[in-house]
Amino acid sequence: MTTSRPDHRALAGALRYRVLEGRGMSDHATRKAAADRAAGGPAMSVPYDDLANQIGECSHRVTDAQVEGVVQAAGSEKAAFEIIAAAAMGAGLVRWRLAVKALKEASDASAGN
Amino acid sequence: MRLREIDRGDSIFNRLLIGLISLVSGMRLPDAARVAFYHKDFFSSPMGAWTQAAMRGPSAWSVGDRELMAALVAKWNSCDFCVGAHGAVAAKGIERSLVDTALADYRAAPISDGLKATLEFLEAMTLRPTELTAESAAVVFEAGVSAEALEDAIAVGAIFNIVTRYANALDFALPTANEFDRAASMLLKRGYA
Repeated sequence: MTTSRPDHRALAGALRYRVLEGRGMSDHATRKAAADRAAGGPAMSVPYDDLANQIGECSHRVTDAQVEGVVQAAGSEKAAFEIIAAAAMGAGLVRWRLAVKALKEASDASAGN
Repeated sequence: MRLREIDRGDSIFNRLLIGLISLVSGMRLPDAARVAFYHKDFFSSPMGAWTQAAMRGPSAWSVGDRELMAALVAKWNSCDFCVGAHGAVAAKGIERSLVDTALADYRAAPISDGLKATLEFLEAMTLRPTELTAESAAVVFEAGVSAEALEDAIAVGAIFNIVTRYANALDFALPTANEFDRAASMLLKRGYA
């Protein structure tokens, strides 16, 4: 029995769909905004913006106060976790997208030669 | 760990499970595992599925190579927990001294040209993603890495750009070197799903 390579695109898409469109304690718009912000996108409302931007740019500098602010604003630790996960995912998937684009362009150029 | 619910578990079952695993293993269950049990359907199930596929699925890269990639992405994101955890797993397949040399300066480490070129790509992907071009990937191809292998490495890079960010944001507790080593054996056996 042969095992095929993972379908990374499908797996990345499933993660993105689940986090941004799936049911949760936080609203979809806030999760999407956090994902976009951590990927370098537009600012969000306070206190979410601080945390999402920090997660994107320099996550090791996230503070207790930033996380606690989002726990209070979002209404629960679970909701805050969803926003943290969305922001982390946004920063990772923008890198996935840019890297895969570079790979595809190089592969297409190589196939054309 | 900044969220108390993750620390203790979000159900009676998970609290008991965390307690039991900690008791049997003789060490505090690492925060990465606590996150894996928490709010599973929302995040850790789809994230675990991709991570398992990328880190343990069929690939031209060995498990050790992929764990080294993860440890370096962690270094570039200043995530001490993930450097420790994935460096320890890498060292189950690659000599510890080589893992440490590569973590200190992969360009000077005695690793293959293909792995070196791929790590250079992953470093740019992590720190300067908007600077990636077709030429960045072409350099990796010229070092003998196939497009499929580069895609596999990119998946590891993306996943650990996610993992290190939530690990840092949640302020994962740092195990000791001995605890990292024991956790690495468990992770090699159990996987990520």
